[in-house]
Amino acid sequence: MKLKIWMKSALAVGALMTLTSGAYADGMLRYATVGEPPSLDQQVVTSDLATTIAHHMFEGLYTFNASNAPVPLLASGETVSADGKTIVIALREGVKFHNGQAMTSADVLASLQRWGEFGSRGSLIFDHVDSVEASGDYEITINLKEPFGPWKNLMAFINGGPAIYPASVMEGATKEPISPDQYIGTGPYKFNEWEANRYVELVRFDGYISPEGAADGYGGERATNFDTLRFIPVSDVGTRVAGVRAGDYDYAESIPGDLFADLDADTGVKTMLNGGPIFGLVFLNSSDGPLKENFALRRAIQTAIDKTPALQVAIGPEGLWRANGSFAPEGSVWATKAGTENYSRGDAEAAKAMAAEAGYDGQPIKFMVSTNYPFHYDSAIVYTKQLAQAGFNIDLQVYDWATLIEKRAQPDQWDLFFTHHGFVPDPILISVMNDNYPGWWATPEKKALKDRFTASSDPSERQKIWAELQALIYEQVPTMKTGDVYTYNIASPKLKGLGKQTLIWPSFWNVSK
Amino acid sequence: MLAYTAKRLLTLIPTLLAASILVFLFVHLIPGDPAAILLGDTATPEEVAQLSAEMGFDRPLYVQYFIWLGNVLQGDLGTSIFFRQPVLSVIGSGAETSILLASMTMIWIILIGLPIGILSATKQGTWIDQITSSGAMLAASIPTFWLGLYLIMIFSVTLGWFPSSGFPSLSDHGGITNLRYLLLPSLTLAAPNAALIVRLVRASMLDVSREDHVRTARAKGLHPTRVAIKHIFRNALIAVAAAFGFTFAALISEAVVTETVFSLPGIGRLVVQSILRRDYPVIQGVILVIVVLYMVVNLAVDLAYARLDPRVSLK
Repeated sequence: MKLKIWMKSALAVGALMTLTSGAYADGMLRYATVGEPPSLDQQVVTSDLATTIAHHMFEGLYTFNASNAPVPLLASGETVSADGKTIVIALREGVKFHNGQAMTSADVLASLQRWGEFGSRGSLIFDHVDSVEASGDYEITINLKEPFGPWKNLMAFINGGPAIYPASVMEGATKEPISPDQYIGTGPYKFNEWEANRYVELVRFDGYISPEGAADGYGGERATNFDTLRFIPVSDVGTRVAGVRAGDYDYAESIPGDLFADLDADTGVKTMLNGGPIFGLVFLNSSDGPLKENFALRRAIQTAIDKTPALQVAIGPEGLWRANGSFAPEGSVWATKAGTENYSRGDAEAAKAMAAEAGYDGQPIKFMVSTNYPFHYDSAIVYTKQLAQAGFNIDLQVYDWATLIEKRAQPDQWDLFFTHHGFVPDPILISVMNDNYPGWWATPEKKALKDRFTASSDPSERQKIWAELQALIYEQVPTMKTGDVYTYNIASPKLKGLGKQTLIWPSFWNVSK
Repeated sequence: MLAYTAKRLLTLIPTLLAASILVFLFVHLIPGDPAAILLGDTATPEEVAQLSAEMGFDRPLYVQYFIWLGNVLQGDLGTSIFFRQPVLSVIGSGAETSILLASMTMIWIILIGLPIGILSATKQGTWIDQITSSGAMLAASIPTFWLGLYLIMIFSVTLGWFPSSGFPSLSDHGGITNLRYLLLPSLTLAAPNAALIVRLVRASMLDVSREDHVRTARAKGLHPTRVAIKHIFRNALIAVAAAFGFTFAALISEAVVTETVFSLPGIGRLVVQSILRRDYPVIQGVILVIVVLYMVVNLAVDLAYARLDPRVSLK
């Protein structure tokens, strides 16, 4: 008798224990992330992972449509004066924050002011701003010192961009990211909980007022079909893949290239190519060391490198990379071939001769790379070998990412370092355009072209100036683009409404399962 | 015993103080700035320096240490730079997973390791001994990441019996049934540890079986099972008890590979991630907690010796 009771109990416990996570209702989207974001404060943090989560909560005045053109989001439209110096932005009425408070121009003004002073990308536009004022309850006026062409692109780029918070949250906010209890936005989902090491959870905002019009990229209607979005850190890629296959996650990001063929053929998962490629960059030190002002020596280094073998080794399948010298990807309005004949010559003999002519006498060239990003390290190994074949004495220094970013801020610590860049809709956002970014490229030739580039509002003129700037990059070599990398994510086939590929960051409004 | 325990607890203070200095220096002397990690790749050195100063990292190291120590003495381990939550709460969240995982693993170790170890010792030299010893060697040699991934492939992806990864808190949706998330990880962790216990139990029992009191017990005509359990196994437990104590502590603090493979929010993964993020308060807090854990386990093992072996006196 006792044995029977024990057996029944064991069966009951076993049944309970084998209940898989299907216990979660279809109302929850479970997204396996590579890690945890440093903060979700969009104004000061530029982590892509942070934006992937936070752009469901925070909105800006503009966003991008599927063609990467800026379209209104919290704005309803704008007028720009004939001289291009006064921009009047009309705000949508009836928009509410997650705390129930109505959004007005006071909130927008406070948000823009904090972003202008402390935001990661705020100074790019605010260096050209004379004043910003709330010219009505639902109207903001920006007075520029001179015309500034990329203003709307910068306003639409939410990563490190002008997310709109309540004025009360912005009061006293500085460079330090705001705390989770202040995550109050206007987006379709609101912040619920951040369980350290477990998940970040957002829940549907019932008071959300969606923009009108058909969904187009990040623009248009935003329907909230999920009750909850849960972002779960799963650092091991094998576990992310197995989790989606087992039905424990609905979506998983950053899957390595060598798994692409298998996963693409697997009907149990859906591969999602990211439309905007990332690209590797090797920065050269313009401030200190043997490469400072020695453009000829930099060109010799550039000439020694053939980018294709590194992409083959580091990324794998050819569908996931392009040996593309244009800083903007194929299909972008900013794509240009200017200067790209020097993108990937891989000519060791020519490089050796150029280095000798530039006065290179074999002194060590410190090349910093991090193992935190395998594709950085794999590429750097290939480049080091190619540079050695051209006679360069490369001192490859391998660090963890935290150490590398501290060392790269010290000009006497390095000559080359490897990093990568996310897709950006306007070249002004590429880090090499920032004079203060490590590498510190700030030559008079750059300044002259950059001033013309930002002053123009004419799209075709700006494209021509950008081509000149790209040619200058290949001439002065402040950085070397390594190639376009199309990262991809995987999703459960049950998810509907994802589209064929993601834009810059995956979004889950208008998605259901 | 009470006086002994109190005395041992007092010796924790200088040890903890020394550990706190070492941990603080180690954490702050490695390169890397949490402000730079928070602000990301596009931040300029000036912006990083500004935020670093706002967070108090521009102060002399000894000033930072004494501020931190003063707070620790008041029970405040600080606030996580990364999570913006009290370090105690961050550690508490990880501790739930780690303690439950370690406990489930210990259950497997006891259920698997002890009987097989006893069987192996009592059947020394037979085919049973050869099979169990070979099995233990195999289990000890299998890398946990490999075993973990295979268990996921078989029991989660193919059969769909268990979740592949993660661990919702027991207070989350699912309650006590969330323990199913720990079944595969605990088996993964148990395999090499149970194998070691098998080897240890076998070796200890064989040692004890050669002693005079065992020969006497056998000569008295006691049943072999009674001799094995009461006279051999109980005495062999003295060595095994120490192994159990330190295995439990190690399971809490060093299960980082298994926690990574199964994406468990435990202490091991927390400390590794915090080092990568340079989240100083969390690193310091976790290491301090681990030091305390090892010291308490050490004390518990000593107390257990006295309980298991009346010849041991605690002074």
